[in-house]
Amino acid sequence: MRRPLLPGRKGLFLALVIVLFAGLALGAVFIFSGVYNVAAARHHFDITNAVIRLTLRRSVKTHSLGIEPPAGLAEEALARLGARHYALGCEPCHASPASSRNPVVAEMYPAPPPLSEAVNHWQTEELFWIVKNGLKFTGMPSWPAPGHDEEVWALVAFLERLPNMDLKTYAELTGSTRTADFAFLQDMSVEGLAAMCGACHGDAQTAPVHPFAPPLHGQKPAYLRRALIEYAQNRRQSGIMEPIANELGTDVIEQLARFYSNASGAPMPSQTPPGSAALRRGEEIAEHGIRGSDIPACRSCHADSASGEFPRLDGLPAEYIAIQLRLFRDGVRASSTYAAIMAPIAQRLSEEQIEGVAAFFASQRPIAGEAAQR
Amino acid sequence: MMAMRFLKRSVAAGRQPVTRSIAAALLLILPIAGCSGPQSALSPRGVEAFSIGPLFWTATWVGLVVTLIVVVLVAVALYGPERWRTWLGQDWIIIGGGIVFPVTVLSGLLVYGLLIMQAGAMRSAQVGLESITIRGKLWWWEVVYTTPEGEEIPSANELRLPVDRPVRLLLESDNVIHSFWAPQLGGKLDMIPGRTNELVVEATEAGVSRGQCAEYCGGAHALMSFFVVAMPQDEYDAWLASKAEGARAPATAEQERGQRLFLENGCGACHQVRGTEARGLIGPDLTHVGSRLSLAAAALPNDTKALMRWITDGQHIKPENRMPPFRQFSGGELSALAAYLSGLE
Repeated sequence: MRRPLLPGRKGLFLALVIVLFAGLALGAVFIFSGVYNVAAARHHFDITNAVIRLTLRRSVKTHSLGIEPPAGLAEEALARLGARHYALGCEPCHASPASSRNPVVAEMYPAPPPLSEAVNHWQTEELFWIVKNGLKFTGMPSWPAPGHDEEVWALVAFLERLPNMDLKTYAELTGSTRTADFAFLQDMSVEGLAAMCGACHGDAQTAPVHPFAPPLHGQKPAYLRRALIEYAQNRRQSGIMEPIANELGTDVIEQLARFYSNASGAPMPSQTPPGSAALRRGEEIAEHGIRGSDIPACRSCHADSASGEFPRLDGLPAEYIAIQLRLFRDGVRASSTYAAIMAPIAQRLSEEQIEGVAAFFASQRPIAGEAAQR
Repeated sequence: MMAMRFLKRSVAAGRQPVTRSIAAALLLILPIAGCSGPQSALSPRGVEAFSIGPLFWTATWVGLVVTLIVVVLVAVALYGPERWRTWLGQDWIIIGGGIVFPVTVLSGLLVYGLLIMQAGAMRSAQVGLESITIRGKLWWWEVVYTTPEGEEIPSANELRLPVDRPVRLLLESDNVIHSFWAPQLGGKLDMIPGRTNELVVEATEAGVSRGQCAEYCGGAHALMSFFVVAMPQDEYDAWLASKAEGARAPATAEQERGQRLFLENGCGACHQVRGTEARGLIGPDLTHVGSRLSLAAAALPNDTKALMRWITDGQHIKPENRMPPFRQFSGGELSALAAYLSGLE
């Protein structure tokens, strides 16, 4: 019988197996021999680079599908809040109108792009996705407070304005011409630090830059101390506050807490008055709770007669209270001792009730000075 | 006729191993050993439970006798002598045993049961009884007594009764359906949102028994129990009068510290301690919590150790219960709180 010229099905299979194992063996030799050069100084081939960039771009595009920018994204106040975080957290790598890129950072591979130009390449929702999630193998971290999307949007609000921004606008938005990173906070006096805090939280003359950054004056010192410690220990989530609190020592935290409990602040800018129905609903919950829904009265704990660990809510911006209640409800703010008390209660509140309670406390006058001492 | 054919076919079938069936039957008897203790319906200590008792035993014995007869007949049909098997296959035996007998026995039992229920309904219709409101909560019992003067005394997770005096229980719920069941007192009755169901009970001897929610009501349903304490009438009246009063003032420095912690940490948002600023109506009334037999609807014994555990770690003891964990206290603060609460007798 004549042998066929072409290998049969069996032979073909055998050849495939051999090729596969040879490939695996070659790969193993490549990895274990260490011939591949991981040096940042040694850049990728152009083709590799192109493939990586294409993959990145497609991944960001696909993953940011369905993200809806919030209504207030164009507000300048939101951009101001984002700008202040940018100056401390992002500028050291991504440069700004006030500073060119650090030459050391420029040698990272891939190098963080100076954002004044790079932002143009991304859509709003893509920027949000990148800031929130970070990028693998690039040095770009994910937002340190998973679930706290409002902060990410504040930063995006600023980034949207960043292209072609002049120095004056940048200084005006960040509240300072000085560029820095978090580490310098360690060496500052309490007065200097308070001035830094005031850049967002307001001071005796100016109201907070945005309702998301609550006024601190007249707050109970024990609560302020606890909040900073929880931020520093990653038990309370905030991409803006965590890196700041992380640089503060316990004695400085103590002094800041006392400073703010004694300080008086500028009044909050008048907010759009909520409907009287919402206010009444909020007042009822704040003063009496709702027995049938197992919602206790807010005032049972958020009162001056209660423990100093419970914050005073009177006069805080409605947006801030509402956001915090949603963070409690959604389990973002639930890991600290006190959040564990608030979270199950917030879960019993409807969206309408959250807005009512927030409007009610915002409408109350804050108590400052000695009355705040407890 | 189908039944007849089936029976004939069975009679014709071969032998089966029986040892396994006997072992299974013995296993089924085992749980009966659990039918004693403070939550047993088989040791009645209330008028209603006594009248349900005969119904239960009659139905059980009748059922047992019928079962025995059937087992014997089946055995005869399978293994009996040819003559007996032929006799069993007659039409009148099958019609008599398969239709006439069950209809007669079941109808008799039905009439008997209805008569007993009628007697119960007559008792419930009595007027002028003192009443106690019991509300099913998630997952505990709110128990509201009324003094002879008409004052309402809120309490929780424990039902105190005078012996030999019928009491009307008003059973309510403001959330889901629960079912009130104190087996030694009487039968169970559902607590339905928007309705008030009435159950008259009368304890026949002093002592402590236990009750349980008998309708699945969510996560911690199995841990929704309570104690029933039947007391001689004069003792009960004195007890009710003492509970009508406000909370006892802290007696020691530690209890005083405990009270301050209790008030400062917002416990009063949900709990009431009559006579203090704590006026919450969401959780159990704690005015006299120290004198109760259990904590957390009979999930825990009532001692300081259990109190401390409950305050910090209640979610592990009773998952999904509505009280948040309060873990902010130091060891000393916790003992002070527990000392204060235990002192509220």
